[in-house]
Amino acid sequence: MAQVAIKKRKGILGALAFVAVAIGLFWSLVIAPPDAYQGDVQRIMYLHLPSILTAYLSYFLVFIGSGMYLWKREKRDDLLAHSAAEIGVLFTALTIIEGSIWGRPTWGVWWTWDARLTLTAILLLIYVGYLMLRSLIEDENRAASAAAVLGIIGFLDIPLIHMSVYWWRTLHQPPSILRPDKAPWENVHPAMLTALAISFVGFLLLYFYLLSMRYRLGEMREEIRARRLDRGA
Amino acid sequence: MSAWGFVSLAYGIVWGSILVYLILLKRRYASTAADLDALRSTEATSSDAKK
Amino acid sequence: MALLRESYLLLWKDLLLELRRRESLLTMFFFGTLLLFVFHFSFDLAPERVAEMAPALLWLAFLFTGTLGLAQLFQPERENHCLDALLLSPLDRGALFLAKSCLNLVLMIVVEIVVIPLFWILFNLRSWNLLPQLFLVTLLGTIGFCVLGTITSAITLRARARELLLPLVLFPLMIPVILATIRCMENVLRTGEFGDAIPWLRLLLSFDVIFLTVGVLIFDRVIEN
Repeated sequence: MAQVAIKKRKGILGALAFVAVAIGLFWSLVIAPPDAYQGDVQRIMYLHLPSILTAYLSYFLVFIGSGMYLWKREKRDDLLAHSAAEIGVLFTALTIIEGSIWGRPTWGVWWTWDARLTLTAILLLIYVGYLMLRSLIEDENRAASAAAVLGIIGFLDIPLIHMSVYWWRTLHQPPSILRPDKAPWENVHPAMLTALAISFVGFLLLYFYLLSMRYRLGEMREEIRARRLDRGA
Repeated sequence: MSAWGFVSLAYGIVWGSILVYLILLKRRYASTAADLDALRSTEATSSDAKK
Repeated sequence: MALLRESYLLLWKDLLLELRRRESLLTMFFFGTLLLFVFHFSFDLAPERVAEMAPALLWLAFLFTGTLGLAQLFQPERENHCLDALLLSPLDRGALFLAKSCLNLVLMIVVEIVVIPLFWILFNLRSWNLLPQLFLVTLLGTIGFCVLGTITSAITLRARARELLLPLVLFPLMIPVILATIRCMENVLRTGEFGDAIPWLRLLLSFDVIFLTVGVLIFDRVIEN
């Protein structure tokens, strides 16, 4: 009975996510006006900001899951960490791609070592490392513990990485005029803020939908593993 | 490439990737659920048999 | 404090082992020196440019040399089930962490004390008077490397492809240290003092303190059977 209720809730979440994403797309691409400086290319921001924020949310969840797992040793915390890491990597990779595509017409190059892109790339490296660590350790429990430690250390390192990369980048380069990370509340049309907000809600709902499915997948795998172990014994 | 070209490229890649991930996830989900059901039912029958 | 005493005991044991066999020390030392030669052939190190590139080259050399040390860090424990014995003993795991970090630190410092002056000689640098400040920066950076590296070395102990996984996991996390030490050293070489680079120095110190603390607290979760 509980299973059915959970499935229903997930279904509703999925439907809500779909609706929010659809409305967000419409608002971002149709209703919001083109930017005064960058033109229509600026619409990529409605993807970029929500993706990066969702990625950070993901890594926070990895941190929480890892911490709880090291503390209480309950499998579900490890499942949360693993699922969040996987989806976080997806969104981080997408953020980099969006940033790169946005950069091409704006700065003229597909890649630049500016603070934003560099930071996102480092994040990707850290959490891809997390996933690789998990997959390369045979024993499930050892893999979970090792990954949990990395999940904590990685997250604690993020502010330090932020500071160091930003200092490094701002010491030598003057800020350019056309920056995709210009704060959206300068000189901004209200429709743009609405598009951003709706897109963000859509991404968030979608994220939790994906997370819940990935989590459930992990739960099922864990149950299969446990049952097979029992059989063997 | 025009401005809308870049926008479609970005939106296309993003939503395309998310869709692909979703499909892959659903497939993994379905096959794992099937495995789990199979395990559960054989356990049920074997415990029935024991009785 | 019991923690420090236990760490000291473990460290002393490892240092004695190392002094007798000298495996890690020699391999690290020769590797570090070898890298200097490779750099000479790889980069166009005209006299004007060497001073600019020195911090980066040195740190690259130390990163790779240090990684060698990290890979061998728990080798003695892996033989003869020593690790199990250690874990069964009432020793604080944090002490094991401190001891291992210090071991790698000592090894790296020995290498650095030789390699840095060697670099100065090989590439005809003049600024010998700046070496004390450079050593200080290097020390702080090396501490950060050893602390984070020991944790990473421990968590990858049972992984396949460990030699690849260890740097893969460690290096992105090390970026604040890499940036900070190289910027500090550059500033010292350029201006003769720390000056503008003081924030970097503070970042290094924070990094060291944070991960030293985390390491001590978390290490018993890291090392298990």
